[in-house]
Amino acid sequence: MAAPDLLDPKSAAHNSKPRLSFSTKPVVLNTPDDDECDTRTTVMRWKTVSAIFFLVVLYLIVGATVFKALEQPHETEQKSAILEQKVIFLTMHTCVNSSELENLVKQVVSAVRAGVNPSGNVSNQTSLWDISSSFFFAGTVITTIGFGNISPHTEGGRIFCIIYALLGIPLFGFLLAGVGDQLGTIFGKGIAKVEKMIVKWKVSQTKIRVFSTLLFILFGCLIFVALPAVIFKHIEGWSTLESIYFVVITLTTIGFGDFVAGEKAGSETPDYLDYYKPVVWFWILVGLAYFAAVLSMIGDWFRVISKKTKEEVGEFRAHAAEWTANVSAEFKETRRRLSVDIYDKFQRAASIKRKLSSELGINTSINQEMTPGKRTLSANLCEDREAYTSLTLSLSPVSGGLARNGSLYLNGLSPDYADRREIAIIENLK
Amino acid sequence: MFSSAGRSWLLLTGFILFYIIYLLFGALVFSSIERPVEDKLRHDMETLKQEFLNQSCVNAASLERFLLKVLTANKYGVSVLRNSSVQASSWDLASSMFFANTLVTTVGYGHNTPLSDTGKAFSIIYALIGVPFTMLVLTACVQRLMYPLVFAPVSLLQRSGMEARSATILHFILLLVLVVLLFFVAPAAVFSAVEMTWSFLDGIYFCFISLCTIGLGDFVPGTHPTQKSRPLYQVAVMVYLFVGLMMMYLLLRTFHKMADLHGLTTLLQLPRCEESDMDDETQPIVENGHANQSSPHVRGKESSKTLDSGSQPSYNTINKG
Repeated sequence: MAAPDLLDPKSAAHNSKPRLSFSTKPVVLNTPDDDECDTRTTVMRWKTVSAIFFLVVLYLIVGATVFKALEQPHETEQKSAILEQKVIFLTMHTCVNSSELENLVKQVVSAVRAGVNPSGNVSNQTSLWDISSSFFFAGTVITTIGFGNISPHTEGGRIFCIIYALLGIPLFGFLLAGVGDQLGTIFGKGIAKVEKMIVKWKVSQTKIRVFSTLLFILFGCLIFVALPAVIFKHIEGWSTLESIYFVVITLTTIGFGDFVAGEKAGSETPDYLDYYKPVVWFWILVGLAYFAAVLSMIGDWFRVISKKTKEEVGEFRAHAAEWTANVSAEFKETRRRLSVDIYDKFQRAASIKRKLSSELGINTSINQEMTPGKRTLSANLCEDREAYTSLTLSLSPVSGGLARNGSLYLNGLSPDYADRREIAIIENLK
Repeated sequence: MFSSAGRSWLLLTGFILFYIIYLLFGALVFSSIERPVEDKLRHDMETLKQEFLNQSCVNAASLERFLLKVLTANKYGVSVLRNSSVQASSWDLASSMFFANTLVTTVGYGHNTPLSDTGKAFSIIYALIGVPFTMLVLTACVQRLMYPLVFAPVSLLQRSGMEARSATILHFILLLVLVVLLFFVAPAAVFSAVEMTWSFLDGIYFCFISLCTIGLGDFVPGTHPTQKSRPLYQVAVMVYLFVGLMMMYLLLRTFHKMADLHGLTTLLQLPRCEESDMDDETQPIVENGHANQSSPHVRGKESSKTLDSGSQPSYNTINKG
C-alpha cells in the first residue's frame, strides 16, 4: 500500500516534516527559526512597537481623564476652604491688610519649599540637612526615587547633585542587580524544593510554574509591602491606604514626596529614630530589588502574551497546513484505491465481454449499431492501461458520485447513450 | 580559590560596603553645603514672623494656625495668593496627563499629588500596571533604534578600517556628546528662556533630574500661574521626557554592550546584555561574532537556576536611570 502513514493522522504528527517550533515553556529561549523568519519578525516588530506605543498613549489619556474626574472636585474644595480661611483671618485681625498677609504667605511658602518649616518653635526643630537626613537624601537621589521634600538650593549643591547622581546611579544599578540575583537564587532554591514536592502529585508543568510565580508574588508582597505598611501605619500615623500608597510609590521609584517616612521631626523619641531611618533605607534597597523582579515579570508576561499569540497563530497556521496536507494525501490515496478498483472491475468486465462476444458471436452487427456511448464504452473496455489514467483524471471531479452510479458516468456519459445490455452487464459487475 | 558562589557573595558585600561609603560621602558634602543656607533662611523666617506680629494685632497662636492651614493647602498645590480663580487648575486634562506621565515613567515630581483616597488607590493600580508597560515600550523602541543609531555607524566605522574596540569607544563618545547637546544643553536653554525664574544652570539641573527619573520636584515646568499656552507646553515637555528617557536607555544599552565586548561584565559577574526580549537575536555590537562568546562561568550560573524562568529577575527592563 502506498504511504500508509499518511492515512494515519497520529503517525503523521511524528513524521519528519519541518514545522514551527512547539515550545511548552512560555518564554522561548532558543529561536532557531529566527534566521529564516527574520524579515517577517522585523516587520512584525515595527508593528508591535507602534501598536504598543499607541496603547501607552491611550493608557495615559485614560489615566488623565480618571485623575481629572477624581481630583478636580477635591481641589476646588480645598481652594474655597483656604480662601475662606484667609477672609476669616483678615476680618478677625483688622490691622493686617491683605497685601502684607500675601507677602508673608509668599515668603513662608518659598521657605517651606526650601525645607524650612516656619511654624512651631525654632528650638525643637531638627535640621533637614543633618547627617542622617543628608544620608537619606543621597539615598533617594541614587535610587532615583527622588522624594523632593528635601532638595538642594544652592548652586553648588545642585552641581554636586548632578555629578553625584551621574556616578551613583550606575553604582546603585550594579548593586541592585547583585541583590536581585541573590534574592532570586535564594528564592529559586526554595521554589525548587516546593516544586520537587509538587511534582510527586503529578501536576502539569504550567500549573507548577503558575503556582510558584503566585507564591513568589504573595511571599514578596507580605515581606516587602504588607509588613512595612503596617510598621509605617503604626509609627507615622498614616492610614492603611496611605501606607500602602507610600510603599508602592517608593518601591517603584516614583517617589512623589507627599508622604516620606521619617519626616516627622522632633515629636518621636530620638533613639527610636536612629534605628528607624537606616532600617527604612535597607528596606528600600531590598524592596526595590523585589519590585524590579515583579515589574520585569509583568513585562515578561506582556511579552509572553504577545509571543504566545504569535506562536499560537504560527501553530494554527502549521496545523492548518498539516491538515490540508493530510487531507489532500488522503484524497489522493482514496482516488488511487478507487481507480485501482475500477480498473480491476473493467478488466473483469472486459474478460466477461470477450466471453460473451465469443458466445454470441455477432461482433460485427453489434459494432455497426454502436451508439456513441457503446463505442466509447467498448473503446474503453478494449483499451489498455492508458484508460486507467484517463479514468482517474475523470474521476477527480466526481469522486462523490462514484460510489453510487459512477461507472455509467465514466466519461460524462448519460444513460441515453448506453445500450440496455451494456447497462445490464455493468450493473451486474458492481 | 573561591567557589563561584562564594565569589559572588564577596563581590556583593564589597558593592554594598562601597555603596554605603558613597552615601556617607554624599551626605557629608550635602550637609556642609546646604546647612548654612538653611540656617540663614530659618533665621530670616523668624524675623519675618516677629515683624509681622509686632506691627499687627495678630497673636502668635492664630498666626500659627493660619500658616499651618496655608502650608497644608500648598502641599497639595493649592495656593492662597492673589486671586485664586485666575490660577489654572492643576488637574485639568493636560496637567492630569502630565501627572499620569510622571507616574508611569517613575519620575514622580510630586508638585501635585492625589488628594482623595480614591485617587491614591487608583494611582497604586495605575502605577503597578503602567510602569512595566512603559518600560516594555521603551525597551522595544530602544531595540529598534539600536540598528540605525548604533549598529550601522559602528559597522561603518569598522569598514573604514578601524579596529573593533576603538570603533565602539569612538562611537559611544560621539553618541554621548550628541545626546548631551540635544537633550541637556538645548532644552535647558529653551527652559531658561520660557520659564521666568529659571537660570541656565537650573535648566540643566532640571533636565538631568528628570531624565534620570529622580524627579525631585523643586523645578517643574509649566507650574507658574502666568504661563501662556500651558497645555501645549506641558504636552511638549511630556514628549521631551519620553524621548529623552529613550535616549538615556539607548546610551545605557550601548554602554552595556560595549562593556560586554570589553569583558567588563564577565569580570564583575554582572548579568550580560541578554537578548531574550522581543525576539531579538544575539546581535553583537561588532560585525564579527567572536566577541560575544559568553564565559562558561556565566553560562553555568544561569543554568544552575531553577526551571521556572518566569520568576527569575531579568535586568533588561530595570529602570536604572
